[in-house]
Amino acid sequence: MKRQIPLIIVITLGFLFVLHSFSPHVVSQNFFDWFQDWMKALSPFAVILGIMSLFMVHGQKISYKAPNWQYSVVTLGGLIFTAMAGFVWGTDAGTPYMWLFKNVQMPMSATMFALLAFYIASAAYKAFRARSPEATVLLLAAIIVMLGQVPLGTMISKWIPITSDWILNVPNLASKRAIMIGVGLGMTATSLKILLGIERTYLGGGD
Amino acid sequence: MTEKIIAFFDKMQRVDRRVIYLIVALSIIIPLVIPFNSPTYTEEPTENIYKKIDSFAGQSNKAVLLSFFHDASTMPELFPMEVSVLRHCFERNIKVFTICFTPAAAPLVDYAINTAKENYDVKSGVDYLNFGYKPGALFLPIVLGMGEDISEAVDTDSEGRKIKNLEIMKDIKNYDDMNLVIDFSGSGSALSWVTYARAKFGANVAAGITAVMVADNYPYLQTGQLLGMFRGLKGAAEYEKLVDVFASYESDEYPNGRPFSKEVIKSIEVPITESNITYIDKDTGVVTDTGIPSNYKYKVARIGMNAQSVAHIMIIVFIILGNIGFFVTRKKNDGL
Repeated sequence: MKRQIPLIIVITLGFLFVLHSFSPHVVSQNFFDWFQDWMKALSPFAVILGIMSLFMVHGQKISYKAPNWQYSVVTLGGLIFTAMAGFVWGTDAGTPYMWLFKNVQMPMSATMFALLAFYIASAAYKAFRARSPEATVLLLAAIIVMLGQVPLGTMISKWIPITSDWILNVPNLASKRAIMIGVGLGMTATSLKILLGIERTYLGGGD
Repeated sequence: MTEKIIAFFDKMQRVDRRVIYLIVALSIIIPLVIPFNSPTYTEEPTENIYKKIDSFAGQSNKAVLLSFFHDASTMPELFPMEVSVLRHCFERNIKVFTICFTPAAAPLVDYAINTAKENYDVKSGVDYLNFGYKPGALFLPIVLGMGEDISEAVDTDSEGRKIKNLEIMKDIKNYDDMNLVIDFSGSGSALSWVTYARAKFGANVAAGITAVMVADNYPYLQTGQLLGMFRGLKGAAEYEKLVDVFASYESDEYPNGRPFSKEVIKSIEVPITESNITYIDKDTGVVTDTGIPSNYKYKVARIGMNAQSVAHIMIIVFIILGNIGFFVTRKKNDGL
């Protein structure tokens, strides 16, 4: 029963949503509205579940003094402190919550994303080699697109941004569309397998 | 001599990556600290967004919706776009709404609005309205619901007010009125707006995307499903210039901004090092100092583009040097 009940729920709702997508009938619309209300009611429980899970995972790490448990203290401390700042003083401009956001979260998040530039530069120097004709084409395309992204490219020649746009509009699009069609077909096949009960791995380990 | 060159490149091949990191850091930091003037060339994907928004100027039954679908990590690229669009709307008396579906974006919306509105006499609920954070699970019902009735789908704004009763909602009912949605993200979330808001209700959709995700979103730009696209920091810099040249322009002939013109944008440069907004006519060489202070927050993308230009050049130099070294050392090894 642990597997059959979830399976019945998935198959039944799955087919109902497929029908809803093709039917503008009032019963179908009412069913969708009913589902939306359930979604609204369920969402807050997901937040509670997430917070509970975070406390359980990091609480255990702290209590067992697992390796790097100090980071767990920072994680939980950050969660409690930020949440309290929001609950007590609100989230408007000038409040401690906004101060934390502007001076802690924003610079830290941006720093993490900015590391990409350093890795790209290092990888470009160490690994981006014209070892084969294919690699040479890739290398030239990368240089043209990079130059096309900055004013210097246009200053060198008006053909650099034009060529850069051509690379993005023709070879890039051809491959992107091929990938998208492949992904779409794969998603349809997987969805059908789930709807028909053939694909059951999402249910977890079997009894 | 040849041996010396081979030895040099051999050494260069084994250079510590921390040296590369240091050079990249300096090439980014120096242009940010010491800004210099470089030209900004605007392109069609950005111009299309500008023209569409500008066509709403002064119309009470037209509005723009900005969807913030990102967190602070992508702010350096996306934030200047958001501030520029808000500034354009405030300059040209265009109703603008904001919404976000991730909790991390909620403070960003407030920050963007507060940054843009400082220099304008605009009021929440009258000139602009923040719908606030809505849970991601409600994305679909809200996007679809706004096609019928925005005040039903969204219900309350970020301050908990019933939006139906607010002045800004007068003449605004659904996507026929709120006719342009711009999705700012570091992912492909604009596709969801294309799928539901555009396909079902005919809303115009545009995207503000980080540079690394631009290639992924090109198919929708080419098909016209995306009206326009801010392509990374470059797109933000282009929009800053468009707002400077057209929306914030004041003269006897055009007291509230001048209309977009391809010829004008091509011939005018707006230097970022001047303390006032200054126009330089590239054809005649005439310099016009408007006397309007050139605010740092309205040119941050163009300053950032200086750093990006230098960083791109550095990466290209690294690639070329690395390849010269590769061929030189390979030739040496082949000769052994």
